[in-house]
Amino acid sequence: MSGNRVAVVGAGMTKFVRRAQETAKELAWEATHLALESCDMTLDDIDAVIIGTAPDAFDAVHMKSEYLSDGCGGWGKPVIRGYVGGGTGVFAPIQGWYHVASGLFDTVLVVCEEKMSSCQPHPQGAFLTIFDHTTERPLEPNLLWIFALEMNAYMNRYGLDKRDIATVAVKNKRNAADHPAALLGDANITLEDILNTEVLAWPVQRGDVSPVTDGAVALVMSAEHVARRVTNKPVWVEGVGWTLDTAYWTNRDLSYPVYVEEAARMAYKMAGITEPRQQIHIAEPYDPFDYKELHHLEGLMLFDKGEAPRAAADGVTQRDGDLPVCPSGGLLGVGNPIAAAGLMKVAEIFWQLRGEAGARQVPGSPKRGLAQAWGDLMQVGTVIVMGV
Amino acid sequence: MSLLHRIEHPRDALAWEGDMPTLGRYTAGIAGEKFFRAIQEHGQFLGTVCPICEIVYVPPRLYCEQCFEHLDEWIEISPIGWVHTFTLVHLDLDGNPLPEPLPLAFIQLDGADGGLVHFLDEIDPEQIFVGMPVEAVFKDPAERKGSILDIAYFRPV
Ligand SMILES: [Zn+2]
Repeated sequence: MSGNRVAVVGAGMTKFVRRAQETAKELAWEATHLALESCDMTLDDIDAVIIGTAPDAFDAVHMKSEYLSDGCGGWGKPVIRGYVGGGTGVFAPIQGWYHVASGLFDTVLVVCEEKMSSCQPHPQGAFLTIFDHTTERPLEPNLLWIFALEMNAYMNRYGLDKRDIATVAVKNKRNAADHPAALLGDANITLEDILNTEVLAWPVQRGDVSPVTDGAVALVMSAEHVARRVTNKPVWVEGVGWTLDTAYWTNRDLSYPVYVEEAARMAYKMAGITEPRQQIHIAEPYDPFDYKELHHLEGLMLFDKGEAPRAAADGVTQRDGDLPVCPSGGLLGVGNPIAAAGLMKVAEIFWQLRGEAGARQVPGSPKRGLAQAWGDLMQVGTVIVMGV
Repeated sequence: MSLLHRIEHPRDALAWEGDMPTLGRYTAGIAGEKFFRAIQEHGQFLGTVCPICEIVYVPPRLYCEQCFEHLDEWIEISPIGWVHTFTLVHLDLDGNPLPEPLPLAFIQLDGADGGLVHFLDEIDPEQIFVGMPVEAVFKDPAERKGSILDIAYFRPV
């Protein structure tokens, strides 16, 4: 482990909703206020603020983090925005980690917010320009094309069918039924329910996809001497990693997320993890689509390539399985306010490792967990490993 | 590429146009909704008070940015204030001359910390000065929509 030791000492989040009446600032304030309250801190205890938020177009406000800053506790403080698209929610606490590990700051706030209902008629519109303006945009592609092509590549590579993958959506929406902040929790949803949803771009159906969501999440991260003073249950950041694959998605192996493997290797090395399948007890991989949870579990080397669907079918990834995966309910169940969704996963690991996850608590007192997100031009992997 | 190799006309290189087709839909928020409804329904300004920092926020805010407390003390604010600074706008957004220079001011409201940027009217632009007392002129109740434009302009008092 490089740098000074850093712990997460507090967390808070808003409800994840389809349309918030609150402004983006008010959402950010609510999450930040709850995070400070959870560890009995005030803004006087905060030395710097990291704001993670995805494309400006989602809130329809340019220079969005500057706009958000007062709701994130940034008044009169050093503030930085982290932005790696969908990977932001796990990248922001990585930035929080190095702000403190460097010795520059003792305590920082990490706040992630997204208000996607501001972006009409659909946030997809903001993504149309991520495609190459000369070779791809004349075809009028939308974001689903990438996911449909990637999902089909994954299914074909390993001979999977839709049922093998839809189990993830069922598990996560059921898990989310126990999350007080969830948008799409459903304790009774079935595989048939998912398989009967409308086809968006084969093989992607509505039930395979996480919803457009508004919400905010905040963490408080402290250096060891502060963490030991403010809590008897600090959750240490043990390793962090992030990498980018090529910007050309037509030059990637779409059946395997090598960018996740590289980010995981960086984080595992820092954490001294040599046998992730034994040493990681709980995982929150990024699941904006059901196949992505499986894809990412393989990239994280928690299962062999092509083997995650079988493990899911066998119950290994259930909350009471050998490796609980997305016990929060994930993006598919809790919701997907992009940057806030990633940070929700980090908050979930924090609550699970402290034994504070309530009805979502996994059995067996897990000692180490990880959260992972994915984004940018669908080629960034961000990984954080935390332990008690 | 050197200056000498720059293309001189758009047609010298292959080019095409595209846009980012999104439309913003904004909410006024929890505090903002109350502020604009008071303007629409009562022609009245409201503010929130932070008793800890002794700040009166107008437009009102749900929380104090300095101490981070939730703000739930609401007070009515006078529609009268003074010109903190002003400008006379001569060109529209496309750079075309306006028929008349448009007076625009930051108006500090009495009894509040902060205020509003708005138009000034019923005054010769030559007569505007920093420190000039002004008051809000609201549109007819029937024309109000719960927007900042429910205030028609500020005028001298
Ligand atoms: Zn205050």
